[in-house]
Amino acid sequence: MDDYSESRRAGDRLAAGHGLDDPFAAAIRATRMATIVTDAAQADNPIIFANDAFLKLTGYERDEVIGRNCRMLQGPDTDRQAVQALSAAIAAGEDINVELLNYRKDGSTFWNALHVSPVRNDGGEIVYFFGSQLDVTDKKTAEAKVREHRDDLEQVIEARTRELTEALEQKTALLHEVDHRVKNNLQLISSLLLLQTRRVPDPDLKSALKSMLGRVNAIATVHRRLFQSEDVERFDVSAFIRDMVADLMGSAGRDDIEMQLDLERVDIPAAKAAPFALVVNELLTNALKHGFPEGRGGRIFVGVSRLDGEFRIEITDNGVGMDKQANGFGLTIVQLLCQQLKAKCETTDAEPGTRVVVLLPVNGAH
Amino acid sequence: MLLAIELEHLIQEVGCHPLGCAMSSGEAFALAQQLHPDLALVDVHLSDGPTGVDVARKISQDCGGVALFMTANVKRLPDDFAGACGVIGKPYSEHGVKTALVYLAHCLREGHAPGPTPVGLTLAPAYAALWGLDQTLGRTA
Repeated sequence: MDDYSESRRAGDRLAAGHGLDDPFAAAIRATRMATIVTDAAQADNPIIFANDAFLKLTGYERDEVIGRNCRMLQGPDTDRQAVQALSAAIAAGEDINVELLNYRKDGSTFWNALHVSPVRNDGGEIVYFFGSQLDVTDKKTAEAKVREHRDDLEQVIEARTRELTEALEQKTALLHEVDHRVKNNLQLISSLLLLQTRRVPDPDLKSALKSMLGRVNAIATVHRRLFQSEDVERFDVSAFIRDMVADLMGSAGRDDIEMQLDLERVDIPAAKAAPFALVVNELLTNALKHGFPEGRGGRIFVGVSRLDGEFRIEITDNGVGMDKQANGFGLTIVQLLCQQLKAKCETTDAEPGTRVVVLLPVNGAH
Repeated sequence: MLLAIELEHLIQEVGCHPLGCAMSSGEAFALAQQLHPDLALVDVHLSDGPTGVDVARKISQDCGGVALFMTANVKRLPDDFAGACGVIGKPYSEHGVKTALVYLAHCLREGHAPGPTPVGLTLAPAYAALWGLDQTLGRTA
């Protein structure tokens, strides 16, 4: 059987029902939307009508498409799954919208947004399929570009994230290494001072070395505390004072002096920790050494509290009083470091004894 | 070496007897096997690298001794302290070490702790339990 002439006749029969004055037929023939009609009654559902827009889109002549199945537009890169979905819909007699890569007569490709729907007669039987084709190549290309860009971008982000993660790991390792070295070196300095202190016979020199050892220990206590906390930027003043007091009182071995602590939880920036620690060390050592000469017991009070915009650190003893306190260098250290910390340090008579109050600005200007 | 010499002074001052000091993990292990110390003070970083953890484990497993870490890297210790009884964090003070040694000597002699752990000493969970310490008291933050 001749498919072409059979389809031609089917096309004629279709046209016969729609004269030249039929506005719907005229619209289909003239529309810019590529449109075909296939004959469901014939084997393999051949094309029996194709409008000019279809011929223009595909590059075929009319007599090259009439009588053929529209799979003639498919090619090697057409998505098989989309084709199967199309065949399944046609076999089931359902509408379908599908986007297919199609081939023109000259072999060039275009993206075809294909709509196919069955046309039924009065008896409900499918007699034709109506197909319309829209060239969506531009949209597809744009989509592909967006996808490509997104993939590129994701790769860039992934690479950058990897770099940053590695950099952070390196930085953390470096921080641990530096922390380790600082602590070991402080240990070395304190052991050196201690070794020499043991060997020096001169009591004045021994006392000076011990004072220096106390200062190094204060800084060491700061570093022990700093990296123990989760936040390496902040320094817990009260926890530090508890450590310092335990250490100082322990090494002083003065059971006749009672310590009273009233410590509110207060944090200062880590950068201020060392000077602050040295100030507290001097004041505590002064109170211990000079407030209470051997044989005179008493009480030392240390308080930390938060005032408006300031931290208040008070160290009060009920010892022999300020006139007899004569640690020149220690007080110089206190003055200089308070200046550095923008802190106020006031010494008053506690009758009996000495009261020193340090007022440290919470967010001190630098 | 300086630190070791200084530690020997401290050990003597609290009434203990320093038996010897070692620089490398090999020396440390040989010394521990030969001398059977009650307590071995072990830094994590020895002359042959970060081998102190292995040394502590060997001392507690093979020599029946008790190890105590002295390290600036407290956070890097394994959770079980490698069988050691605890750690003194560097930098330590003279008083801190002495107090810790007196405290541990009491624990080792009597089998229970004389009180909460002193500042600067952190006990391994297993030893804190062994010496009858409430975990919350046994840990110094």
